[in-house]
Amino acid sequence: MTETSSAHQVPEKSTPFSDVQLICCAASRQFCDRETVFGGVGISFLAVAIAKIVHTPEIVLMTEAGYVGFAGISSMDSPADNHGGKGAVLHQGLFEMFRDMQAGLVSAACLGFAQIDKFGNCNVTYVAPDIRMNGSGGGGDIASSAGRVVYVSKFSPRIFKDKLDYITNPGFLDGSPDAREKANLVGGGPCCLVTDKGIFRFDDKTHEMVLSEIYPWQTDKDLDEIRAAVPWDLTIASQPKIIEPPSAVEMDALILMDPAKRYQEADALKRPVGKIFLEGKNDIASYREVTKIFNNSMLKAVDKLL
Amino acid sequence: MANVNYRAKPNKVMSEQESISRFLKNGDTFTVGGFLLNRESDCIFREIARQDITQLNYIEESCSFGIDILIGIGAIDRFDQAYIPQHQVGSVNGLPQLNRSLKEGDPRPVKMGGVLNTQNYLGDQEPLELIDWTNYMISLRFVAGAMDIPYMPCRSGIGTDIVKYNKEIIVSEDPFKNKPIVLIPACKPDVAFISVQRADRQGNGQVFGYKGVDEWKARAAKHVVLLTEELVPTERIAENPANTLIPSYCTDAVVVLPYNSHPHGVFGSYATDRLALMNHLVSRQTTDGFKAWMDEWVYGCKDHFEYCEKVGWGNLEETRKMEQKINILP
Repeated sequence: MTETSSAHQVPEKSTPFSDVQLICCAASRQFCDRETVFGGVGISFLAVAIAKIVHTPEIVLMTEAGYVGFAGISSMDSPADNHGGKGAVLHQGLFEMFRDMQAGLVSAACLGFAQIDKFGNCNVTYVAPDIRMNGSGGGGDIASSAGRVVYVSKFSPRIFKDKLDYITNPGFLDGSPDAREKANLVGGGPCCLVTDKGIFRFDDKTHEMVLSEIYPWQTDKDLDEIRAAVPWDLTIASQPKIIEPPSAVEMDALILMDPAKRYQEADALKRPVGKIFLEGKNDIASYREVTKIFNNSMLKAVDKLL
Repeated sequence: MANVNYRAKPNKVMSEQESISRFLKNGDTFTVGGFLLNRESDCIFREIARQDITQLNYIEESCSFGIDILIGIGAIDRFDQAYIPQHQVGSVNGLPQLNRSLKEGDPRPVKMGGVLNTQNYLGDQEPLELIDWTNYMISLRFVAGAMDIPYMPCRSGIGTDIVKYNKEIIVSEDPFKNKPIVLIPACKPDVAFISVQRADRQGNGQVFGYKGVDEWKARAAKHVVLLTEELVPTERIAENPANTLIPSYCTDAVVVLPYNSHPHGVFGSYATDRLALMNHLVSRQTTDGFKAWMDEWVYGCKDHFEYCEKVGWGNLEETRKMEQKINILP
């Protein structure tokens, strides 16, 4: 699962929010209580963590390494992170997680990607001519078998492709009505793409991507820019729904989940750990400083969630 | 079976050096337990480099940064994976040696099934083959290997380029319901190195926290080396039998090696050492930086204990304290 660019966007006059804040908060509202939800890493995990703290406390968080029903006390660098085990009701294995998913037991998942086409097929493996991305991980399996997939990404013309450089995650394949059934795929496929320029959904009949929800500050000119950034003739809903801007509670949850400031500071060396590292310190005091940054935040989240 | 002797021994404790020189040979296929960045023995890659074992095939669903060391010295012929953590730490590349191999063919060019070959490569080194699967598919390779059956069927990936370009995956028809089904070939690696929190002398290995694919890797592999944080009496193992992921009849060697996943974290044992991780990754970004780092942290240390000494036992103890405020083993 690829981490989408976490570059801190210079807020425009009309939007006092960064792209990460907009994406995570809007995506966090796409789940229902008591659903089993697979979180990826990076902003796709932040979205489900905010969902659990703010909107749907009864969702059952799952990671592919084997954690089920865990609290989600901090952002995940890896689905195997130690704190993923905190508050979990089950520690199982990766094969068992995907077994359960192939049996249709996972309601939804949140994933990042590098390129997407109009039928919601995604590429996270290879960008022409010579860029190797992280690769499928469990993404190809999740897109095959999870009940539905919420995709998240910063908006950019680069992410929309008529023809993907590599198909890693199956969406609605060629868009034909029974394409997924013919491919014997278990899950329902992509349900939406949440970006900082709006939420795209997929038409029930044509399976084509439609811009269906926008932020309150977006103008007709903004919509023209979106249309121009997409290589196919993008359908925009005649009366797009308006997305609520991030709320204070959502923003607090995001900050609590991100003690490393990965999603608030783009440059790894300018984040708290990067700064300590650059000072060249390597003593117990500097280790204690790092411990404090993470444990204070995680213990605060434990109080809130457990 | 050649390995019966090892597996029947009542005391399988040996050094890390011996476990590798005894079981891993040039040309072998190996895997490492754990998933991505946790409970993944990093020290194994350093010791393999010190022993200069080459032409290796490495298979792992989602690997850690450690494999980059062996790619950087040209020791890997074939790398089967589902995920490589290249962009895990923002702008700092997780596998800079793989990236250099891809872009410049140094130390070897890269061939990635169907889509990507190192361009303008003028040298004479054989390419490193990079083969893509999904996490579930790689786990099924070990499940089939563990069950000693030729393949496992699955329902992932029809319509994707993973299935199109990976020539070892077969899309077939389910003979019962006549629907398309994906067949994933078994894998029986020569050696599996698996990091566990506790083990006894006989090789009963216990894992706490997520389990990854380790029980299947251990049953599929011809030789299994447990790297344990702690050596305990069998009675202690019997206190939590549900956590014994790898029973002694699967184990060839037990290596007692605290902090063997460092700089990565281990559930209930120690947190990720973020300062050391940053140091290792930032140092390895350039060719010269990588060589200097290898001289300092790999060739410059006799063994893992000298490496720990270099990190600082006090610092390591801090990562243990940090983790134990969050997770405590039973």
